[in-house]
Amino acid sequence: MKKERPNSFVIAEAGKCIGCKACELACFAVHNRDNGVAAAVGTVTTPVIPRLYVIRTDSFTMPVQCRHCENAPCAGVCPVQAIQQEEGAITIDEDRCIGCKACAMACPFGAISLYKAYSSGQEHKQPHLRERLDGHLERKTRVIAYKCDLCHDIVSDGNTASGEIAAAGRVTDISKGDMTVGPVPACVSVCPEQALTLVSPSLGASRSRKAAGLRL
Amino acid sequence: MTPNIDPIIHIDEELCTGCRRCAAVCPVDAIIGEAGTPQRIDAHRCVVCGQCVQTCAAYAAESDPSLTSRAEKLRQRGQLSSVREPLFAAYSTGHAIELKEALADPKRYKVVQCAPVIRVSLAEEFGLPLGTLTPGKMAAALRLLNFDRVYDTNFGADVTIMEEGSELIGRVMSGERLPMFTSCCPAWVKHAETAAPHVLDHLSSCKSPMQMVGALVKTYSAELDGIAPADILSVAVMPCTCKKFEAGREEMNVDGLREVDMVITTRELAQLIKDKGIDFINLPDEPFDSPLGKYSGAGTIFGATGGVMEAAIRTGYELVTHESIPNLQLDFIRGDEGIRTATVQIGDLELKVAMVAGLKYVSSILEQVAGGTCPYHFIEVMACPEGCVSGGGQPKLLLETQRKSAYQARKSSIYRHDSNQKVRKSHENPAIIKLYKDFLGEPLGHTSHHLLHTKFFSRKVKGELK
Repeated sequence: MKKERPNSFVIAEAGKCIGCKACELACFAVHNRDNGVAAAVGTVTTPVIPRLYVIRTDSFTMPVQCRHCENAPCAGVCPVQAIQQEEGAITIDEDRCIGCKACAMACPFGAISLYKAYSSGQEHKQPHLRERLDGHLERKTRVIAYKCDLCHDIVSDGNTASGEIAAAGRVTDISKGDMTVGPVPACVSVCPEQALTLVSPSLGASRSRKAAGLRL
Repeated sequence: MTPNIDPIIHIDEELCTGCRRCAAVCPVDAIIGEAGTPQRIDAHRCVVCGQCVQTCAAYAAESDPSLTSRAEKLRQRGQLSSVREPLFAAYSTGHAIELKEALADPKRYKVVQCAPVIRVSLAEEFGLPLGTLTPGKMAAALRLLNFDRVYDTNFGADVTIMEEGSELIGRVMSGERLPMFTSCCPAWVKHAETAAPHVLDHLSSCKSPMQMVGALVKTYSAELDGIAPADILSVAVMPCTCKKFEAGREEMNVDGLREVDMVITTRELAQLIKDKGIDFINLPDEPFDSPLGKYSGAGTIFGATGGVMEAAIRTGYELVTHESIPNLQLDFIRGDEGIRTATVQIGDLELKVAMVAGLKYVSSILEQVAGGTCPYHFIEVMACPEGCVSGGGQPKLLLETQRKSAYQARKSSIYRHDSNQKVRKSHENPAIIKLYKDFLGEPLGHTSHHLLHTKFFSRKVKGELK
């Protein structure tokens, strides 16, 4: 039997997070090159739509994002098979998404949000569905599901706008029991407090056992 | 036009998450508040450098219905309604709306000057790679925005070198009021006035290049163009939020007229260009206007830390020794954040210089001056981490991880621009030679004193924090 490696995921340490939203901004920046977003804030012409969200409670703040569930319930309920297992991540094919919200309801982490779709910096209009705006019928903007894709396709390509994403973050490889620094999702690389970690678990290993071992 | 009394740097309480990253970059501890709650700015301490504006990542999310509308926020911030970029908690007061109205006024003679580093960063706002050099497109865009004259702060930098260099030589020869500090960074000047009034005598009496150009626009160039100074609207495009404060200083006037009527930042210029629908990337290059648009390589490098020093030494060396400087590229002066020191042999004189980049590094030098132990003759202080390339009004980066490479790219672009200039020393700039021959007479002369020099005042208050 082929040895499978479980999906990696990014997790935050609430004690470290200061709630600055740099992760949200970075997430948006690297996913919107097609919308003309380059290095400067001034190149942004669409609303900032991140794929992770900094949540706040009275006692702590931390970003919440997709856990890339091995048996992803979002994929199970997607009626158009837009959610796939792809190179160690659960991803949404945004072209295929019909905006039915089933995935958002199925997600136990609240990691999926629905927002308007943009292409080339403009709202992406539907070919058929129309709505009445200011007294006349206009093509309705597509609404799709957004969630963390672990920056797959992005980190490996580097940042085409101007330079590359510096790998400033930490990658925890529990299977090797060491901390290695390598390409990481944008949110991890920009966090000023290093509160975010890309966790790459290995199948069958007891997380708590390993973690206890690492603390020795 | 009235002097600007607005505090200029603000934190939007509705958006601030209390992460205090702004407090971490503030060089003067002017940001006050508990973690997790909205911060506020102590306007007295604040040096208006805008580093907090550059760092802040707390943006107004579209999905938050509890926020004041975007249109209203833009209006409060003095930003054009066409601005599409996200709005952050920390921001600087905009003047693009006022400027847009003024540019449409046919009765005014509209003159603009641009700081050395606008040309190496403006293009980033249009998606071109970090540090892309676009002086020609910038001049063309400013003409399309309806400016009658497109001048250059680089010219003022060359004038500054003539005046400040002569002042330094005078002070070194007489041994008076040494060390001499540069006075072109308004955030440094405000800090000295607020936190270290004991060094004010040590500041060069020179106005900044921006104010010098402003003064010359309403005198020398007004005379050449036959325009009444009162009809002139003098505008500056700056990488710096504190330049808005500087232009509003009461003493910055020439015969009762403001030297610089309005200051906009690099980001605001980009917003005006977009507002007018100008295709910046495809604009054909155009030259600056004469005579206040002709500059040397020395004027250009003012935008990077150590630039004023390097430019001053290129000219000072030749004024003192009457010999040509053997090497124009003074690599030992170039660098980044912190304090760098060097000794330069100029004839018989061993000139000891220091470059401070990042205002937080200046305190040790201020203590040395107070204690009479400061070993330097000349000290350049720039409030921002790498000089004006990293100014608070420069394009803001989406990714913190690109900050270093952005500053590096802008700096190399500036140095490349310098090395490609035919004239690389301020005193060899033909327009400068003509200015002194026809109008100013000599550096530190009567007209220079009237137009180009100023005084500084203590802003110290008892009890410090208000």
